[in-house]
Amino acid sequence: MNRLKFVRSQETTSSRLLTVVLLTALALAITFVLPPVADSQLAGGAAITIVILGLSWLIGWSGQISLGNSGFMAVGAYAAGIWASHHTTTPLVFTFVLATVAGAISGLIVGLPSTRLRGPYLAGMTLAFAAAITPLAQNFTSVTGGSGGLFLSSLVTPSWFLHLFSGQNATINANAQWTADLAVLIAGLTFFIMANLFHSRTGRAMRLVRDNDVAAELMGISLSRTRTMAFVVAASFAGLGGALYTVINTTVNPQTFPVTLSITLLTLMVLGGIGTLSGAVIGGIIYAFSPNLITHINALTGVNPTSNLGSNMQGIIFGVLLILTMIFAPRGIAGLSPRLGRLVKLRK
Amino acid sequence: MIRVEHLSVSYGAVKALQDVSLEATPGLITAVLGANGAGKTTLLRTISGLVAPQSGNILLGDTSLLRTPAENIARMGVAHVPEGRGVIEELTVEENLRLGALASKVNMSEGLEAQYAQFPVLGDRRKMHCATLSGGERQMLAMARALISQPRVLLLDEPSLGLAPLVTAELMKSIRQLCESKNLTVILVEQNAKSALRIAHNAVVLHLGSVVASGDAKTVADDEDLRRYYLGLVEQ
Amino acid sequence: MSSFLTSSFMHNIFGGLSQGVIYALVALSLVIIWQSTHILNFAQGAMAMFATYIGMTELDRGINYWWCVLISVVVGMILGGLTERVLIRPLYGKSEINPIVVMVGFLGVIEAVTTAIWTGTTRNVTEPFSQVYYLSNDKIILLSPFNIFQIVLAVTIMLLVAALFRFTKLGLQLRASALAPEVARLLGVRVNRMLTIGWMLSAGVGAIAAVIIASGNFGLFPTDMNGIFVAGFIAAAVGGLESPIGAIAGGLLIGLAEQFILAYWSPNVAPLGGIIILVIALMIRPQGIFTKKVGRRV
Repeated sequence: MNRLKFVRSQETTSSRLLTVVLLTALALAITFVLPPVADSQLAGGAAITIVILGLSWLIGWSGQISLGNSGFMAVGAYAAGIWASHHTTTPLVFTFVLATVAGAISGLIVGLPSTRLRGPYLAGMTLAFAAAITPLAQNFTSVTGGSGGLFLSSLVTPSWFLHLFSGQNATINANAQWTADLAVLIAGLTFFIMANLFHSRTGRAMRLVRDNDVAAELMGISLSRTRTMAFVVAASFAGLGGALYTVINTTVNPQTFPVTLSITLLTLMVLGGIGTLSGAVIGGIIYAFSPNLITHINALTGVNPTSNLGSNMQGIIFGVLLILTMIFAPRGIAGLSPRLGRLVKLRK
Repeated sequence: MIRVEHLSVSYGAVKALQDVSLEATPGLITAVLGANGAGKTTLLRTISGLVAPQSGNILLGDTSLLRTPAENIARMGVAHVPEGRGVIEELTVEENLRLGALASKVNMSEGLEAQYAQFPVLGDRRKMHCATLSGGERQMLAMARALISQPRVLLLDEPSLGLAPLVTAELMKSIRQLCESKNLTVILVEQNAKSALRIAHNAVVLHLGSVVASGDAKTVADDEDLRRYYLGLVEQ
Repeated sequence: MSSFLTSSFMHNIFGGLSQGVIYALVALSLVIIWQSTHILNFAQGAMAMFATYIGMTELDRGINYWWCVLISVVVGMILGGLTERVLIRPLYGKSEINPIVVMVGFLGVIEAVTTAIWTGTTRNVTEPFSQVYYLSNDKIILLSPFNIFQIVLAVTIMLLVAALFRFTKLGLQLRASALAPEVARLLGVRVNRMLTIGWMLSAGVGAIAAVIIASGNFGLFPTDMNGIFVAGFIAAAVGGLESPIGAIAGGLLIGLAEQFILAYWSPNVAPLGGIIILVIALMIRPQGIFTKKVGRRV
C-alpha cells in the first residue's frame, strides 16, 4: 500500500505525458508492421478504447453503473455522420469536436435524472436510454437515413504518407495504416486527458463521492454535480469514440449500436480492469483482435464459423468471460498483473 | 439442556467471546449479564447458529449444534427472541404467529388459540399490522411467536429493552412462570441486571467477552464487587 | 355504445391494455426477485425467451399448445432456480455492481446460445386463438380473441401469484424471507430455499409473458423480450421495484402511454415514451410511486 502511494506521489503530468508518448509511439510503430487488415482492426480497437476509458471513469471512479454507453456512442456517431455527410470539406477535427459535444449533451440529459438513482435503477434507466436510441435512429429517416444509415467519404490520406508506400496495393495499404495511425493518435490523446483527470481534484472528489458520499458532502463537494459530471465526461468520450468509429468505417447505421454493444463494452472494461487506464487499453486490444481469436477457437473446436454456433461464439465467450471475471477476478487483467499496471503507472 | 463449552467467537480481528462456558438446565432461568459490548448478544446468536464460532462447542442435550444452520437449530426446539424482538412489522399479528408455528408440528389453529388465550391483547389485534403495536405488545407477540412452536429452549435477548418498569416486572414474572410450568430451558440476556436477577435461578456475568463470574443468582446478586464493577447495581 | 367501442380512443385503450398486461407480468416477475434478493435480473427476458423456445418448438412435434406452454413455464422455473443457485448465490453480500454485471453477462450468454440453437430468424407459432379483430357494425374493435386470451391469462397469473403470497404457508415464508431474512431463519424458515423458490416463481411468470409474445404477432425470435424487458423494468421502477401492485399498475400505465403517444403525438418518438415516464416518475418520487413503509403486500 505504501509503495503504491509512493509511486503515485512521484507521478507528474510530465511523467504521464512521457508514458503516453512512448505508448503511442509504440502503437504507431506496430501499425507499420501489421498487415492492412490488422491495421483496420487496430483502428476499431482504438475507438473502442476511448469509449471504455469513459465507461471506466464512470463505473470505476464515480461508482455509477451505466448500460447506456452504446447509446452515447450512437449519439456521437450520428453527430459525426450527419455533419460529415453534409459538409464534406470541414476539417476532421471539427467533426470530432462536434461529436464530443453532442455526446456530452446526451450525457448531461441522461446524467441529470441519474444523480437521484442508484445501482440497478441507474443501470436499468441507462439501458432504457440505449434501447431507445436505435429505434429513434431508425424512425427519423430524413436526418439519419433510417435503417440504411449514412455514408461518409473515406479519409483522405495525405500525399506525403502515400509516398511511404509502394508496390501493388500501395494506396489501400496506405489508407488502412493512415486510418489506424490517426485512431491511435486520438486514443493516445484521450488516454492522456483521462490519466490527468484520474489524478485531478475532480478525480479525487469523484472517488470520495463513490466511497463515502456523506463525507464528500461535508467537504463541500456537490454530489449531484459530481455525479452528473461523471456522466458528461463518460458520454463525451463515448461520443468521440463513436465518431471515430464512424469515420473509420465510413458509415453509420442503427444496427451498429445495438444494446448488446453496451454489454460488449462492459465486458471489455471488466476484463481489462474496472477503473484502470491500462484496463481500457487491454479492452480495446481484446476488441480489435477478438475476431481472430474467435476464428482460432472455431478452428480448434472444429466449429464451422458460418454456422449458427460459429457466428454466436463471440457472444457466448464474452458473456461467460464477463461472468467468470466478475466472480473470480473482479479486478480484471490489469488487477491480475500488477507489473503491467506499474509499467504505465496507472494504479488507482 | 444447553451446554456451552469453551466458546470463542471473533468478528475479524475483534474477539467477541473468549473461552466462554455455561450450562442451562430445563426448568431454570440462566441470566447472562454484563455491560454493553460484553458479548451477550453474540453468545445467543452463536447458540442459535447465526454466528459461527472459532472454537468450542455447543450442545443441545447430547447433540452438537456446531455447523448446524440456524433454521435447523430453530426446528430442533431452540426459540430465539432477538434483540429488538424481531417482530416483522409489515405482517399482521396473526401472520407473525403463523410464521412461528410453521416449522413445528404444532396444530396451527390450536396453537393460535392457546397463544390468544395466554395473551388476549394479541387476539384482539390479530388482523392488525405489527407496525401499529406498542413496545409491550410487540414483546408479547415475540414471546407468543416463540412459544407457539412449543420449544425446549428459549433464548431471550434484552426483553426489557424500552419497556416501562411496571411492564418489565410483569414480563419477568410471566417468564418465570412459563419456565417452570413448561419445564423450559431459558437463557435470559439482560442489561437490566436487577430485574433479571430477581427471577433467574443461575447467573453468568460477562465482561469483554469473558466470563468473570457464574453461580446461582442469589450469590451473584449479593456479591458486592460484581454489583459495583460489572452490574452497575450500587445505589448512589 | 358500439360506436364507442370502435372509437379511436377505445382502440388505444384496448391496444394499450393488451400490451400493458405483458409489461405488468414482466414487471411483476422483476419485483418478486427484487423484494427477496435486491437484485435486478437483467437476464429475465432472455431466460424467458430461452424457455419459450424449448416449449414452443415442441409444437413442431405435434404436441398440444397448452402442453407446450406448460413445458415453457417449467423449463423457465428450472432455469430460474439454477441461476439463483449457481450464479447469484456467490454474490450475496457483494457490492451491488457485481450482480448487475453478472446478470448482464448472463443475458449475453443466453441470447447468443438461443440464437446459436434456433437461429436468428423468426419462427411462427400457431396461435391458440384467432387474431382477427372483432367487428361491430362492420367497424373494427381493436380486440381479437387472442387479445382477450392474453389479458385473461395475464390477469389469472397475477391473481394466482397474489393468492400464493397472501394465503399460503409458502407465501408467508417467502414474504418473511424477503422482509426479515434473519428473523425468518430464527423461526425455522429455510430462507435459502425460499430465495431459490422466489427465482423459480419469477422466471415462471416471465416465461408466461414470453409465451404470450411468441404466440402473438411476433413469433419466436431470440431477442423478442429485450424491448419488453426494458418496458417491464420501467414499469417496475415506476412502481418502486418493491410493490407488486405498483409493478402491475406501472405495466398498464406504460402500455397505455406508448399507445397514446403513438396515436396522438408521433410514432417517431414512441420509443422514448417509457423513458420519459420513468424520468418524470422518479423525479417526483425517487422511491417509486407505490412504495410505502407499511402495508406493502401482494
